[in-house]
Amino acid sequence: MQVWTKLFAKSPFKPLIKHAEVVIQTVETLEKALQAWHNGNTEEMERLAVEVDRLEDVADRIKEEIRDSLSSKLMMAVAREDVLIYLHMQDKVADSAEDTAKWLLVKKSVDVPAEIKDVILQMGTESIKAAKLVYEAIVQMDRVIESGFAENEIKKEYELIRAIEDVERKIDGLDTKLMKLVFENSDKLDWGTGFCILNIARTVSNISDKAKDAAERIRLMMNK
Amino acid sequence: MDPWLLITIVLGFAMAWAIGANDAANSMSTAVGAGAITPKQAVVIAGLLEFAGAYFFGKSVTETIRKGILDPSMITDPNVLVYGSVAALLAATIWLIIATKFGLPVSTTHSIVGGIAGYGIAYAGTSIVNWGKMAQVVLSWVLSPIAGAVMAYIIFKIFTKSIFEAKDPIKSARIWSPFWIGLAFVVIGTMFYLKVLHGNDIKTGVIMYGVPLGIVVFVITYLLIKLRFLSSDPFIGVEAIFKKAQVVTSAYVALAHGANDVANAIGPVAAVYTVATMGMAGMKVPVPRWILALGGLGIAVGVATYGYKVMETVGKKITELTNTRGFTIDFSAATVVLVASWLGLPISTTHTVVGAVIGIGLARGVKAINKDIVRDIIISWFVTVPVAGLISAVIFKVLMLVG
Repeated sequence: MQVWTKLFAKSPFKPLIKHAEVVIQTVETLEKALQAWHNGNTEEMERLAVEVDRLEDVADRIKEEIRDSLSSKLMMAVAREDVLIYLHMQDKVADSAEDTAKWLLVKKSVDVPAEIKDVILQMGTESIKAAKLVYEAIVQMDRVIESGFAENEIKKEYELIRAIEDVERKIDGLDTKLMKLVFENSDKLDWGTGFCILNIARTVSNISDKAKDAAERIRLMMNK
Repeated sequence: MDPWLLITIVLGFAMAWAIGANDAANSMSTAVGAGAITPKQAVVIAGLLEFAGAYFFGKSVTETIRKGILDPSMITDPNVLVYGSVAALLAATIWLIIATKFGLPVSTTHSIVGGIAGYGIAYAGTSIVNWGKMAQVVLSWVLSPIAGAVMAYIIFKIFTKSIFEAKDPIKSARIWSPFWIGLAFVVIGTMFYLKVLHGNDIKTGVIMYGVPLGIVVFVITYLLIKLRFLSSDPFIGVEAIFKKAQVVTSAYVALAHGANDVANAIGPVAAVYTVATMGMAGMKVPVPRWILALGGLGIAVGVATYGYKVMETVGKKITELTNTRGFTIDFSAATVVLVASWLGLPISTTHTVVGAVIGIGLARGVKAINKDIVRDIIISWFVTVPVAGLISAVIFKVLMLVG
């Protein structure tokens, strides 16, 4: 009976997990690029920044595929809108990484004080944590459904969401610290470098902001 | 041999083939979809059990007019019964093949009921139809999926509460899995008595077959789990237990299906056989063993030739159906059919299974269900009887003119 093949539609969760994997790769590559930038290895930094761009494209393609397959004809365990907005936010995580890579590429700011570079690198490292936690959260969401929305699985999911919020708070703190540092060092920086650094910081902290938004959507998926 | 008998035999075989192709794949598809068995294994198991069910447990006496749809006292001319049976069989077969082609799970019983009503009306007008019986058939379109959905929803909720929501899921899986599997076998044992052995008293079924079988299966499962519980992960562990249970429940469904649904194909053959050999049109006639064998063989061939293709696609395409959910669907459908036969309500297994799938979806168990397909399926249920009836009426009229 072919009906069984058609009755069960393709679930969006496996592709969402795949998308999250690419997002992690994008952010990880960005961190390596920041590392190269920190070490003054411009060539390596450029190569990695271009790679970030490529990975973001891959994430985009998966996103389109998921959107196309999520028709309103489906009856799903979670609301379709929540899935679509979640996907949008998860994709924004990769987008933000790409934005940072762009700022790295447009201005080769070599004479940046070490303490500023340290904070930016730290922000990059924390962003990977956020991206990885988003991946874990979507894997756990799959599990929540698998268990028929069991209480203890939902509890585990809430813990992950809280962890993402913690990382976001931490990056926010680093962001403020960086802004202060830029103005404290204003005599050592030309305006262009300062502008570039502040934008790098803004886009990196966007990574965790969007991760938090994604987590927020997962919370909504559980409270239908 | 009477040429009409020969034609009916060929048509009966075709109908059995269509039953095998459309219906029999259902019994195994949840097990194949959940990866418990391969499509090849499913074809062998289903083919053998459908044949065994039909040959050994098919009713040796059948009604010539399925389910008492027509008033037999109004058919005095044996030729009408012969032409009518041919028309009904051909119409039901054509409709089943069309439905199978479009992948719609229609009831084989309803197809043959439609075919019989169709020729009856063409012959003697609407007064020949037992509308009370027809109303029961119509009622089952509504009743079966709702009952299936409600039962599956409840069972799935209790099931997840008892295992996945427990404080210690591994510990509760060890106790509750054998309980659920044991309970499923209480239903299966009782059903075996009612459907395969064609017993009448449900109490006897429960006490003599259901409960003893349930206890034996509980003990076996409990010990097996005690010896080896596959993983420290309760999800994988539980799925592995139900994977094995599902093979047995599916096998049972195939056996019961053979025992019951073979009548849809051979009932009309037996009617013509009686006319051909005894020259009379009775209401209930004995069925020679070879006709049962023919029906069983037809179903088995249907499974092997068409069911194989279907099950193979199922095996490759369904990834969203887990073993516990497949088990819940089988268990719910079987329970609904059992309770319905106890209450004397008309229920279609095919419709109940589809209802159960939707019920689990509503309990937020299945990740995604295609609403469009659900709509198509429901439409196909409503058109089965009228379409089969119409085709049958046309064929009957033609046969009466040329015959």
